[in-house]
Amino acid sequence: MPRLHISVESATLQNGLRVVISPDRTAPLVTVGVYYQIGFRLEPRGRSGFAHLFEHMMFQGSENAPKMMHIKLVNSSGGFLNGSTHHDVTNYFEAVPSNALERILWLEADRMRALKVDDENLCNQRDVVKEEVRVNVLNQPYGGFPWLDLPPVAFRNWPNAHNFYGDFADLDAADLADVQAFFRTYYSPNNAVLLILGDVEPREGFALARKYFEGIPAGAPPQFADTSEPEQTEERRGVVEEKFGTLPGLAIGYRAPKRRTADWYAMAMLDETLHGGRVGRIYRTLVLEKQIAVDTEGGLNYANGDLFDYNGPAQMVTKIMYKPEYTAEQTIGEFDAVIRSVQDHGIPSQELDAAKVKFRSDYFSLVEGGRGSYIPRYGLMHFLACFSLFDNDPQLVNTVLDGFLEVTPEQVQAAAQKYLRPARRAIVVRRPVAAMQKGAA
Amino acid sequence: MATGLSSASCSAVPPLAPERPVIWPPRKRTRLANGLEVVLVESHTIPKFSGELFLRSGNAAVAGQAVGLADMTAAVVRTGTARRVSRQIEEDLRRMGANLSTGAGADTSAISFEGLVEFSEPLLELVSELAQQASFPPAEFERERRQAIEALRIERTTPEFLAGERLRKTLFGDHPYALVSPTEAQVQAYRREELLWVYREHYRPGNALLVLVGDYRAEQMLEQVEKVFGSWPSGRVPATRPPAPLAPCGRRVYLVHIPGAVQAQILAGCLAITRKNPDWIRLGLANCIYGGAFNSRLVMNIREQKGYTYSPRSTVHALRQHGYFTIHAAVRNDVVAATLAEMFYELDRMRALPVPEDELADARNYLSGVFSLGLGTQDGLLSQLSTVYLHELPEDYLENYRERVRALTSEDVLAAARKYFNSANAQIVVVGDRTQVESQAALFGEMRVYDAQGNVLE
Repeated sequence: MPRLHISVESATLQNGLRVVISPDRTAPLVTVGVYYQIGFRLEPRGRSGFAHLFEHMMFQGSENAPKMMHIKLVNSSGGFLNGSTHHDVTNYFEAVPSNALERILWLEADRMRALKVDDENLCNQRDVVKEEVRVNVLNQPYGGFPWLDLPPVAFRNWPNAHNFYGDFADLDAADLADVQAFFRTYYSPNNAVLLILGDVEPREGFALARKYFEGIPAGAPPQFADTSEPEQTEERRGVVEEKFGTLPGLAIGYRAPKRRTADWYAMAMLDETLHGGRVGRIYRTLVLEKQIAVDTEGGLNYANGDLFDYNGPAQMVTKIMYKPEYTAEQTIGEFDAVIRSVQDHGIPSQELDAAKVKFRSDYFSLVEGGRGSYIPRYGLMHFLACFSLFDNDPQLVNTVLDGFLEVTPEQVQAAAQKYLRPARRAIVVRRPVAAMQKGAA
Repeated sequence: MATGLSSASCSAVPPLAPERPVIWPPRKRTRLANGLEVVLVESHTIPKFSGELFLRSGNAAVAGQAVGLADMTAAVVRTGTARRVSRQIEEDLRRMGANLSTGAGADTSAISFEGLVEFSEPLLELVSELAQQASFPPAEFERERRQAIEALRIERTTPEFLAGERLRKTLFGDHPYALVSPTEAQVQAYRREELLWVYREHYRPGNALLVLVGDYRAEQMLEQVEKVFGSWPSGRVPATRPPAPLAPCGRRVYLVHIPGAVQAQILAGCLAITRKNPDWIRLGLANCIYGGAFNSRLVMNIREQKGYTYSPRSTVHALRQHGYFTIHAAVRNDVVAATLAEMFYELDRMRALPVPEDELADARNYLSGVFSLGLGTQDGLLSQLSTVYLHELPEDYLENYRERVRALTSEDVLAAARKYFNSANAQIVVVGDRTQVESQAALFGEMRVYDAQGNVLE
């Protein structure tokens, strides 16, 4: 069986910044990422949506690169740039021809050292973010379903349970003092990892990292709020109105095991057998065989994250778009029958073997691309960052697969019995307004 | 608008290092005796391969029979063959670590797939079986039909879909490109015999292009391809070429009413050109400067200065027979008129004034640089190669593209803008709540109002 041998070198600068370099000089392209260990889970109370709004502010100007210069310099170097906010990390990344590497590092260092923004920038990006929320959530059929719908039903601790995209009142309340405080607290080099992937000679990459980043003073280590959840002992349910769409939807989320535990590896394989495409048991049963649903999707930390990029309570989620002639209860009943079958009978070893082949294959693709085809090695960057920040072990990218491939059918069955219990789950029905008016289920 | 770099900050910016050459991998290109065109490229990034079997017939080619018929045909193709039932197909794919999808656009139908290279031959065998021996099981067809109808209903509540659909209707008139999606009644009326007819007539090696990129040796892969696809019987493919659409004359506004919409989707556009047109790259550069890049005039203006929108963009779309140009933004309801005014201001500025030299240089670097990002992944290569061979571009297109971009002048950009940024005859679609946006939209031309089902409202 072919194994991954990704060359990964890492070092920590004197200010605590971790630097990870993965050289591959076949094409003259380099991907640079900076990940900060802060996401929407830990944004301040009363400031829902702030971590994401802040991400926008990081493109609004820094000490030596005023507004627009960042975007202009990356584009005119022949590359793309973007950023994204996740539960527990926020990333900034560029894919450029490799002759722009030094320039990109200069830019990232400049904004890590000193963000320089004003009220006008903040007002501008607040407006932009509101249109982002409208286009993705408020004016879109099934907007935010289920990644914004499940947390408030499933969780009790505010960091896990609030509106991650942000209530408009909270976005309006955010001011420059919030921006500067957030920057000081979380955007220090000792709370970040720099990644350089592709056409770079490691020695030169580390030298450039030191040249541009080592002078940035370390900050006080951030005090992370408690994100633990009280033990869940009862099924939780919620209903969300669907303003535009015509089909009812269901999202079922079960509390997942902690990352990198034996149960987590087993759960990931269980997830693959349940949610792995059209052959996964849920799609196969609900869409292809019973034809109660027209689509299903799901996964561990599904919808706005993945198996590796969380560092707090998470769920294995199933999304089901079902036909209006069925009720939510009928649909849940069919779903439960699929789960019960795994709990009672386990899964045949040949099914698990096939799921492992698929898992391994998809992992390779995630590492190679993972963000369409326009950011080479996005997935590698993302995994290396999470393995650095959460596990302090970027080499996991080469070895983590082994843990999944060693899972036994007995472990999968045990995980189903232990984790897929109603008392560990939350269910949200997304119910079309038209159906609600008719009083249908 | 791009701000110039101040000299103080400029001194700190590290210059670009000397470029390393961009080298596109060699293509092994051949045509089998049955007419199948094959393009093979090695890429050893991961132990996988990625491929696409294109049939050069999509929904436009069969629109005379029924709208969207090629898409439904493709959907049912994967649900059974003479040798495997649906469940077997799906289980075999998983065993090979493969993903596969089928579908059709305006110009092509395609079977797209990727998987572990250790299973390349059985995966190609399955693809070949889908292309030659699909059995169109009636029950699977009925299931797909119902799913397609539910998907259509949801599409009709999606602002971006409604905007695109309406614009295509206004630009393409009687041409099949006008119809991006069937109605529910049309899907309801599809007959299995029609699907079989599309399959028989169009799934032919002489009508097909197979592109494979991955971690293999090209000579060995060619042997596999010959073994698997060599016996696919050839057949004649009817050539259809509907007359060219008439370019709409005069600015018009089409308002699609969604009660309760909290945002307005604006999509304006005009007819443009295909990729084979010698002006294609010139127009691409003009588009970059106008609204095709983050660092473009449109984005700077209506996002970074005014905060009207999150993701404004302009795009040049190339279909096989015709192309078109679009400008898009989803904006808050009270700035529909202000946004349209800025869109046209920037468009007319492109038509009136030469682009300054530094802005031009930035755009040239952007376009030539991002073009090579596809080199980094198997998927990226597959997509670049598919574009070249589907659109029948010159064999050295990839190799010469960057130099051609770098040779463009501000006169080229001005000429392209004047020719193709046809602001006087642009068609404007606004999708939103008419009570919020109607009076603003009406300022920009004679207006018609539709509901989401396509009925004219008064």
